[in-house]
Amino acid sequence: MAADQRIDGYAAAILEVAKAEGELARVGDELFRIARAFESSSELRDALSDPRLPTELKKGIVDDLLGSRASALSVSLVNFVVSVGMSSELPAIADRLAERAAAERNKVIAEVRTAIELNDETVARLTASLSRATGKDVELKAVVDPSVVGGVVAKVGDVVIDGSLSHRMQEIQKTLTRR
Amino acid sequence: MIQFLAPLVILAGEAVVEESGGIDLLLPDTSELIAGFIAFSIIFVFVWKWVLPAADQALAARQEAITGKLTQAEGAKQEAESLLNDYKEQLARAKGEANEIVDDARQMADALRTDLVGKAEAEAESIRGKAREDAAAEKERAAGQIRDEVASLSLELAQKVVAGSVDESAQRTLVDRYIDDLGSLET
Repeated sequence: MAADQRIDGYAAAILEVAKAEGELARVGDELFRIARAFESSSELRDALSDPRLPTELKKGIVDDLLGSRASALSVSLVNFVVSVGMSSELPAIADRLAERAAAERNKVIAEVRTAIELNDETVARLTASLSRATGKDVELKAVVDPSVVGGVVAKVGDVVIDGSLSHRMQEIQKTLTRR
Repeated sequence: MIQFLAPLVILAGEAVVEESGGIDLLLPDTSELIAGFIAFSIIFVFVWKWVLPAADQALAARQEAITGKLTQAEGAKQEAESLLNDYKEQLARAKGEANEIVDDARQMADALRTDLVGKAEAEAESIRGKAREDAAAEKERAAGQIRDEVASLSLELAQKVVAGSVDESAQRTLVDRYIDDLGSLET
């Protein structure tokens, strides 16, 4: 079975479990945040992906890290993914889950990265603006990413709208090196 | 003629001696004179008739042989001179040809040397040109590398400075501006 099919299968299974428990929105959001944390922390990624570490130890790490910050269902689902050896695919599974969940509500995911936490009012305005800009009904997933420095990076499907300071600095760097 | 007359003189002398009385003791007898005369005549005729012609003939043959040999020697001499002239001409021609060959070889060597020197100079110029191009490219690459490093360091520094200077208020202003800018992208 191709990796993409497996990811899609796990995402579908988690979606059904979350739906059955009536916690689809919360689980989807928490898994999305966990996936981002997994992406940004190489130590966590290495620990959960290391085939030499026993599964129980990996589960212990997940419980310690997420136990107090996520729902029991989300922690159980992450442990399930870790126990079947799909740790390295956790971000992809979470993204696919978010996409599927949004698609069920006829929405598309807009991943928004900022250097600061956005308040609800800003999230609502940003959601409305991105919906108008892309012509799609978007569901916003906000991620705090210090590497953005300032401004916003929004990714809707394959479209990236980069208004970050880091992007502008890279443009300046390209201009300098092109001379 | 004197030889023929001599006996007659002698005979006349004898007659004079006889007439004088004492000379008879010195003169031969008449018979002896006649016999001597006859013998002398026989010898004279023999010599005149056979010996002299034979001697003349031998002398003529000898002269003819010498003349022939002289003529032959003259011919041989002329032939030798002709051969000598031929040899001299051939030698002169050979020398001329040798000189031509040497001149041709020298010209070929000169042309070859000129050609080789030209090629070597062209190759050296090509190598120098390539080295100059390589040096220029290397210089440009190094300059580009330094420029990139300076730009990267500047960016890194600028990021730190900006990250430190952008407070929450500025962050929210940037987000608001982003939301406003999205309005211009509306489909």
